[in-house]
Amino acid sequence: MSENNKKVGVYICYCGGNISDHVDVEEVRNRVEKMPGVTVARTNMFMCSDPGQEMIIEDLKSDKIDRVVVASCAPSLHEATFRGAIERAGSNPFIYDHANIREQVSWVHHGETATDKATLLIAAASAKSKLLKPLEPIRVEAKKHTTVIGGGIAGIKTALDIAQKGIEVALIEKLPILGGRLNSLDRLAPFGEKASDILKELLDPVLNHNAITIHTDSKIETIKGYVGNFSLIVTKKENNKDIKLNIETGAIVMATGSVSYTPLNGEFGFGQHEQVITLQDLITLLKENKSSGSSLEVNGKRIKNMVMIHCVGSRQIPGIHQPKENGQLNEYCSRTCCAALLNAANQIREKFPETGIYEMYRDIRTYGRGQEELYEQASKNKVVFMRYEADAPPVVSESNHSEYPLKVKITDSLTFNEVMDVPADLVVLATGIEPDNVSDIASMMKLPIGTDQFLLEVHPKLRPVEFSITGIFLGGTCQAPMDTGETCNAAGAAAVKASALLSKGYIELDPFVAEVNTDKCQGHGACIEACLKEGALTLTEVKIDGKIVKKAQVTAAMCLGCGACAAVCPKKAIDINGWALKQYEDMVDAIVSDGFAV
Amino acid sequence: MSPQAKRQENKILILATETCAYPGADSVGQAHSTYPANTYILRVRAPVLFPESFYFDCFRKGISGIIVMSCGEECPYDGAYKALAKRLDAVYKKMKAMEIDLKRLRLTAICTVCNRAFLKEVNQMDQLVRELGPPQLEA
Amino acid sequence: MVPTNIKNFDTLVVGGGIAGLQAALDLGDQGYKVAIVEKDASIGGKMIRLSKVFPTLDCASCITTPKMSAASHHENITLFTYCDLTSLNHEGQGIKALITQKPRYVDPIKCIGCRQCEYICPVHVSDAEQGDFSARKAISIPFSTAIPQLPILDVEHCMLCGQCEKTCPTHAIDYFQKPEEFIIQAKTAVITTGFDLLPVKNNFQYGNGHIPNVIDSMQMERILAPHGPYNRVLRPSDGMEPDSIAYVQCAGSRDKSMGVPYCSRVCCMYAIKQAMLLSGSLPLADIIIYYMDIRAFGKGYEQFYQNAKAMGIEFVKAKVARIDKGENGSAIVRYENQDGSGIATADHDLVVLSMGMIPGWDPRSICPVSKDSDQFITSIKPKISPVLTNMAGLFVAGVAAGPKDIVDTITESGSAAMEAAKFMSNSHMEN
Repeated sequence: MSENNKKVGVYICYCGGNISDHVDVEEVRNRVEKMPGVTVARTNMFMCSDPGQEMIIEDLKSDKIDRVVVASCAPSLHEATFRGAIERAGSNPFIYDHANIREQVSWVHHGETATDKATLLIAAASAKSKLLKPLEPIRVEAKKHTTVIGGGIAGIKTALDIAQKGIEVALIEKLPILGGRLNSLDRLAPFGEKASDILKELLDPVLNHNAITIHTDSKIETIKGYVGNFSLIVTKKENNKDIKLNIETGAIVMATGSVSYTPLNGEFGFGQHEQVITLQDLITLLKENKSSGSSLEVNGKRIKNMVMIHCVGSRQIPGIHQPKENGQLNEYCSRTCCAALLNAANQIREKFPETGIYEMYRDIRTYGRGQEELYEQASKNKVVFMRYEADAPPVVSESNHSEYPLKVKITDSLTFNEVMDVPADLVVLATGIEPDNVSDIASMMKLPIGTDQFLLEVHPKLRPVEFSITGIFLGGTCQAPMDTGETCNAAGAAAVKASALLSKGYIELDPFVAEVNTDKCQGHGACIEACLKEGALTLTEVKIDGKIVKKAQVTAAMCLGCGACAAVCPKKAIDINGWALKQYEDMVDAIVSDGFAV
Repeated sequence: MSPQAKRQENKILILATETCAYPGADSVGQAHSTYPANTYILRVRAPVLFPESFYFDCFRKGISGIIVMSCGEECPYDGAYKALAKRLDAVYKKMKAMEIDLKRLRLTAICTVCNRAFLKEVNQMDQLVRELGPPQLEA
Repeated sequence: MVPTNIKNFDTLVVGGGIAGLQAALDLGDQGYKVAIVEKDASIGGKMIRLSKVFPTLDCASCITTPKMSAASHHENITLFTYCDLTSLNHEGQGIKALITQKPRYVDPIKCIGCRQCEYICPVHVSDAEQGDFSARKAISIPFSTAIPQLPILDVEHCMLCGQCEKTCPTHAIDYFQKPEEFIIQAKTAVITTGFDLLPVKNNFQYGNGHIPNVIDSMQMERILAPHGPYNRVLRPSDGMEPDSIAYVQCAGSRDKSMGVPYCSRVCCMYAIKQAMLLSGSLPLADIIIYYMDIRAFGKGYEQFYQNAKAMGIEFVKAKVARIDKGENGSAIVRYENQDGSGIATADHDLVVLSMGMIPGWDPRSICPVSKDSDQFITSIKPKISPVLTNMAGLFVAGVAAGPKDIVDTITESGSAAMEAAKFMSNSHMEN
């Protein structure tokens, strides 16, 4: 066990009998008092009370102690309390360690063994405390600037939110115009707002905001750096010339959006029959349609029977559906197509009563506010619903009927699996959502991509709009299928994280990071190989006594503090501040000593 | 002079992650579920901190059994669980070569309210170390 | 009498469930001072009462407690638990709320959360926190992970024996504690009042809650929780391990006769999740889900559903018409078979009703914020920002703005925090 001259104060709590009924607190105090390095050992009925805390403050102020161990309840309850007391005494709060002798001793063990175990846990905490050093939060200067990648509705909303909090924004879009997929939509489900109105309401303030710089026709070349200090190189097309831009930024938001699934050749007759179109095609038709008759007209032909097929390119099942060339199957639900399809069906049935509609679905997923009403309205509008199983999809083929070029064969489970041929002069495929391919940007920043090809957040509930790399966020359909309202919520959530991160101009990080003892470090580089966070540890050349040698160097802002490096250093030259391997070794010594010669 | 504590045989060291297993042990305490007192729970950020030698040092010092209570796949440090599992595989190999019973070292995942799983683990390990006694290793 | 005790904050968050906690954290992290007012004795809302959560099957407690703990230790967040909101109105450029602190009969400053009162209390009361499947004491901390760790004396059941007062090491028991009123003034407010499960008692065709072993989904959550009432899966009436378990979907949702025409959005997924957990603890049991449409629309949800099918959980497309009491504690489910064979009946040892969500709070006569026909708070801009209400400076997030799952709730809460922060940065609020 390492010897040093630290003066440890140990404070043991009775917890009003909660501890003292099972642990002989005074006996523990007597034993602890004799431990080497312990200069003060006191007890109190309630250590968390003001008089209890005052004892610590008094002893620190009078220099009797310079390390503090409190033995009481679980650290989750009062560790913060005692660190606060230490701060009030003018000392560094990190000179503190906690012995959990209520939840992990007096409430689970009884009699002499409880007293003995409490003694050893305090001995261990005291041993650990001797190797604690004062720590300061790591402060990283951060540029009050965010870069939003993607100029669709998610990017626009994020940019506007962040800018309105007084943070500068660079909004980068690869296409010549902003607006993304909303540009190609018409009336939005379920309430029928015009997509162009929605877009305008957000775009106008974005275009006029001083804090937002828009870069359309722009491509990201490189991204480097870490939280608070990223730098990007962007190529922007201006007047047919490529201009290189340097953007220094504090945070990055991925809002790269999605594309519509393109059916495979022959999938439900797509590409083989001109009367088979996608939902996006239908929306464009409706948007541009000027016909005023009682039937929808497509290419000058009146549509009498339209068949709409749900779940095209979504909810695909291995072994049933045919993967794309790259082997990809879209096993997920695209979430928005049911409502969008019903919305289109209602519009058609209400405007063109002589155009009949059959919807062939697997499950109708009108989950959102106002969506169930769309479904109900479709029934009222005499849309005919037929249900198919994933393993028996509808088959689109040519018909020999004089009026209808196509027929769609379906086994309808709503009518006890009756097999029917539905004549059709238009077949609409409800094509799903696929993430836009951003593998180049993702690989630059080492952003994870899920098996569904969407960008992958840290945790869907704990950190839903964050990547594990601090300072990089995501929002919208680059993450998962969502509708416009959901996308704007996700954008707001990403914006709030970026705003909170950059609000102060600097970022304070936990001080529990790796630190290199440069005297011991021989530049083996084993730590760098073991490090889980690329960039957190590097080998740098330094000059010592005129000789150039290699030493490991920690970038504190990137270090996770996991200790993977400490485990592998052959010279024990790297360790985690506050949670050092050496401290654990000393704790184990204390535990095996049985309180004899600690 | 007060009498010193009696020497205790068969100590079990528990490395419990601060986000999952350590609060899990507190939850057992809140439920007042008794378990053997030869268990010493150390709060750790990520058990990937411990080199192979740490485990053998513990056995050499007289620790009879070690339970690494991790967060499992819910580990907050990306990649740490995998690295830990790999490390322990290597430890197991050496334990085998040194003829240390492999059951003396156990890797498990304990959640913040996994009371039953916690009790099962400590009771099993206690039973084992009672049967085996302390590992006989040269210091 | 108008209370004179006025507390000032930047934002008042009404409701301390996961939505409120997330909104408060996202505001507190930006430096705003936030008050969370919660009607229950602990923060954590419905989520802390769940077993595991879809689609990751994380333990609900492990995901909720870090957020609860972060909020309770946050320098910018103040918790007011066990409080009623009496009124919430615009005043000047901000909002003013009248709050009543309900008496716990325990001094929160003196109490050290040691539970000695709870252990000595001789009165056992049915524990709603455990689905009414087990008992608590007449004075108790609501559940192990509750924040704050303060007990509540249940005056309805306390027999004033005085034992808790005598045993309390800090003399924290106060039988004479009175309700206390105070005012919160804030620049903005976020409504995160969540939901209640539609009560089974109104559901005539499913037995009004009187058929043994027909339980609701929240009760099933407790049975499945790692710290639940039985520590394993048993049916409540006789403690038998059920061999056949049925889920009745859309019990009270998508059903105008129940006053809930909308989809409650989470029931498909929680039923699938519970079914998976059940098949883990009872590998030999038959588990059947009677459904209308499976709505597995979120990230990873469809894959979760397909996994459940692959695990052998049976999905039967049918609307259950009626449930009757069967022999030996079983329940008889009547439904229309899709294969054309007409009405079928099936006997199950345990039936779980996937009840829908209704609003957890009614603003009527408390706050002039408007409600929609579904009784949830109206979103005036459901596309651009679903968190905006008809009251300036008052925002809504989570199920208060319509049923949604935890993932969508957490995202929406961030969005509400963003809108509130923007509202406060605008120049008209600067003075």
